[in-house]
Order: sequence, then C-alpha cells, then structure tokens
Amino acid sequence: MDNIDFEILLALQDGIPLEREPYSTVATRLAITPDEVLERLKRLREEKVIRKFGLFLRKNTAGVVANAMVVWEVPSNRVQEVAEYLSKFREVTHCYERRTTAKWRYNVYTVIHGAERKIVSEFVNKLAKAVEIEDYLILFSVSEFVRRSTGRVER
Amino acid sequence: MLEKAQDEFPLTIRPWASMAQELGISEKEVMERLDVLVERGVIRKIGPSLDPKRVGLRASTLIAMKVPENRIENVANMVSKYKEVSHCYQREHDYNLWFTLAAHNQIELEKTLEEIRLGANIPESNVLNLPSTRVFKIDVRFQLT
Repeated sequence: MDNIDFEILLALQDGIPLEREPYSTVATRLAITPDEVLERLKRLREEKVIRKFGLFLRKNTAGVVANAMVVWEVPSNRVQEVAEYLSKFREVTHCYERRTTAKWRYNVYTVIHGAERKIVSEFVNKLAKAVEIEDYLILFSVSEFVRRSTGRVER
Repeated sequence: MLEKAQDEFPLTIRPWASMAQELGISEKEVMERLDVLVERGVIRKIGPSLDPKRVGLRASTLIAMKVPENRIENVANMVSKYKEVSHCYQREHDYNLWFTLAAHNQIELEKTLEEIRLGANIPESNVLNLPSTRVFKIDVRFQLT
C-alpha cells in the first residue's frame, strides 16, 4: 500500500458519495484519474487489504432483530469439534475461542441473529443438546451503541 | 438491489448506472432508492471494509464491564467516542457493557483500555479482557429473505 492508496482509503473508508461518479472528487484531489482510483481499489481488494467492497446494512433495521452472544464452557479437548459444529449454522454469524479467567470459564463465543428472542432461545437450546454442553449463557443485546468497521486508517 | 449489492457491488466509474442496468431501472431511481435507505438507516455504509491486520491493527480484544445501571448510558457514550472501539453493546447480564478494542500493538491497546476504565470509574475486578485465541467463523452477510 503506497501513499496514494492510503489517501484513497482515508477518503473512502467511511463511504463513497452518492454521486453519479463517486470517485471523481478523490481522483481530482490526488491528481489522478477515476480509472486509476478504481484500479487501485481493485488491487487492494485482490490483495485483501479491502475485505469487502459494497453495501453494509444496519441489521436492526433490515428485518433481523434479536442479537445474542452465546458463551459456552467447552472442555478444551472438544473446542474444535464444538466450534466447527456451531459454525455450520447460518444463524451463527461469528464463532471465536477466547481467553478465560479464573472466574469466567466460557471459552467459545458465538454471535447469533434471529427474528426474535424466543426463536433464538429455542435454537440455542437445540444446539446445546446437540453438542451436549450444559454450561452456556445467552447474552441478549439491549442496546447497540457502536457498530462500525474495525479496520481503519488514520493520519 | 440490496441482496445483489451486498455481495457483488460493481467497481465501475458509475456504479449506480451499473446497478441500474442489472435491475432494469434508471440510474436516477437507483440513487433515489439508495438515498432513502441511507436516510432511514437501513444502509450503514457503501464502500470498503478494511482488514484490520493489513492496516496495522495487530492487537484486538473483547472487553466486558460491570457498569452500574444508572451510569450505563453515560459510560457507553464515552466508550463509543473512541475510534478504537468498533462494536459496543449493552447486554442482559451483570457484565452489561461489551465492546471491542483494536490497536496497533498490545501496549497501545492496554493503554487505551486503562484510559477507558479509569474514565468510566470501573474497578479492574469488574472488567473482563477476552482476546480471541482462535477464529472459527467471521461472516456478516445477512440473509434478507
């Protein structure tokens, strides 16, 4: 990533303008052509600096309502098996193994989205039976304060 | 329109015209519809999402805090102002505030965390620092139908 790539990402990382030719402004400012901006964006996407280029929806207004983080206490020799099983379901959007503490023994974290809490609860209880794990917590979200991209460039 | 553009957004000089062609409507209509969806908050952003590791953010973690109920809104708003925080939710549990932190390195991360903790006036014993040790799935494509 060179300096021009950096400037393009800095200018566009929070969104491209809703103009007929969205890349013209940044192109002019950097004294290059919109075509070059596009070529650079394509290359950055190929190189996976850009993970995805497109529309990002705010999930609580796009018809998906209940957001739950479910934390599971899984014996360490079963983490891979259980995590891989849980990850198969499309309702499970994220699955991580995380560090535990002396008092907080949950090591597998899944984020689950569903149309409503009751549906999510039933789904999680089924999962728990399937993987034979009894120690888990469903942590429903009450408010979303921040949801934005993790990856950012700053000057 | 939303289904297509989530996955296969056209990287062209006139992306709305490209989308219009795919959908059989006018460029103007695509732009008007998108404008409404952005205004209504359905669309959060149209653009790139960057891989944090590729832009130098090598340290990241999930934090959980026990915040007194009467202060949770204030603390959450304070936490939300940090650009290092990408997700912040109030959840139903004693540990009621959960947020992610990203930084260039571990030292920077711990410095930011400490600053947040002190600013929120939360004792260390009410904070969980939960970095990931393995990632099994990270996929945020929402099925719309």
